[in-house]
Amino acid sequence: MVRSALGPAPGKLGRKPSPLAAYLPAATVVLGSLLAALPIVATSGWYPDFGYLVFISWRLLRADPWPPWWAAPLGFVNDLFTGYPIGLSVALWSATMLALDLIDRRTMWRDYWIEWVLAAVLIAIDQWLQWRVAKVVGAAPDFVNMVPAIIISICVFPAIAWAVSRADAWRLGR
Amino acid sequence: MAGIIVGLILLVLSLVAPQQFDRVRGVALDVTGPITGGLHEVTATAAGIFTGAGNYWDAASQNAELKRERTAMLQRMVEAKAIFQENQQLKATLQLHERERETIATGRIVGSSFNSPRRYAILSAGTSDGVRIGMPVRSPSGLVGRIIDAGTLASRVLLVSDRANIVPARMLRGGTPVIAQGRGDGTISIRPLEVGRNPFKRGDIIITSGTGGLYPPLVPIARVVKLEDDGAVALPLADPATTSFAIVEPPFEPEAVAAESAPGALETP
Repeated sequence: MVRSALGPAPGKLGRKPSPLAAYLPAATVVLGSLLAALPIVATSGWYPDFGYLVFISWRLLRADPWPPWWAAPLGFVNDLFTGYPIGLSVALWSATMLALDLIDRRTMWRDYWIEWVLAAVLIAIDQWLQWRVAKVVGAAPDFVNMVPAIIISICVFPAIAWAVSRADAWRLGR
Repeated sequence: MAGIIVGLILLVLSLVAPQQFDRVRGVALDVTGPITGGLHEVTATAAGIFTGAGNYWDAASQNAELKRERTAMLQRMVEAKAIFQENQQLKATLQLHERERETIATGRIVGSSFNSPRRYAILSAGTSDGVRIGMPVRSPSGLVGRIIDAGTLASRVLLVSDRANIVPARMLRGGTPVIAQGRGDGTISIRPLEVGRNPFKRGDIIITSGTGGLYPPLVPIARVVKLEDDGAVALPLADPATTSFAIVEPPFEPEAVAAESAPGALETP
């Protein structure tokens, strides 16, 4: 894999990944999902889907933050904590892993902007899917109402990506 | 990948037969409910300090205004008491039996679905307090919604502003029957049952009619703020963000609700 992380870092004697390094990414994703428990009472659903933002931040940073099948249970936890219809995040997060694996194979190089655009597309798909599923049960607002949510999520993404990269450096002892 | 297939199967299940997941959703609510409740205490205290300080600003003129309002209110109260007595007498002559409205539980609204197109709130009362799925929730200022997930310690409320929440209602002025449906953005759309002239005016109060048997009658729902071609847009009177206490009541006519949710009937239109 291109961005494998847990191998020995050259030239850093005596510094090694922390023993929980393999589990930290998944733990932070669950933490992101738990942000849904914040005592914010809003009349509009414009806050980002934090669990998904942390999830794609890790996956864009590393190719192997967790074994691919973990996407399903992590999505399940997100569905439970956020009150989404159960299965929505399970399917979406598994599909995200698959899509990003394909993109990793096709792209020659990546930079900050490409990752942001990728994240923006994924966020838009996430919000659209939520809206579509709400529409199935007859509960969807006009799609115009989803636009602020998408824009806010896209603007929040760099901050989450930065926090995730800090957490990554810490877990690898770099 | 198997995850996608599993996810899609779960998603279809949760859309077609949502009650399959009642138990597991309840457990998740019990995990997050206390966290949300605890954090809510902190933020409520902090917010209280700021608004408390703000109240001292311009205190003198506020005081005068409140005094004026109080004398006006006293007059209205005496009138209301007289009307209430007359009403009692009339009901007695009609031999109309009125049931005591009981309270199942009181809880605080501690959280909401702030990252989803659906409009839910988290209530800090669960099955251990007697809360069951389907019960209506109200606050002193108006209707909040109904319970859709119940954990032991916390429950999830489908707010009146959610698109899937349709409340049979009528106008306080004139009693015209209307339908209140959430718009998903914190407001409610009001439509008259009969096609014809738009009966709404800005400032009209919409109250529940009790039709359908779930919501008790005469609970205020919303105030009309904007007129549209075939109806109006209204703001809920019970703003979940400022509602501190919410009251869970039993379904108004449990038999009617049971008949409606029997197999074969649609749960949410």
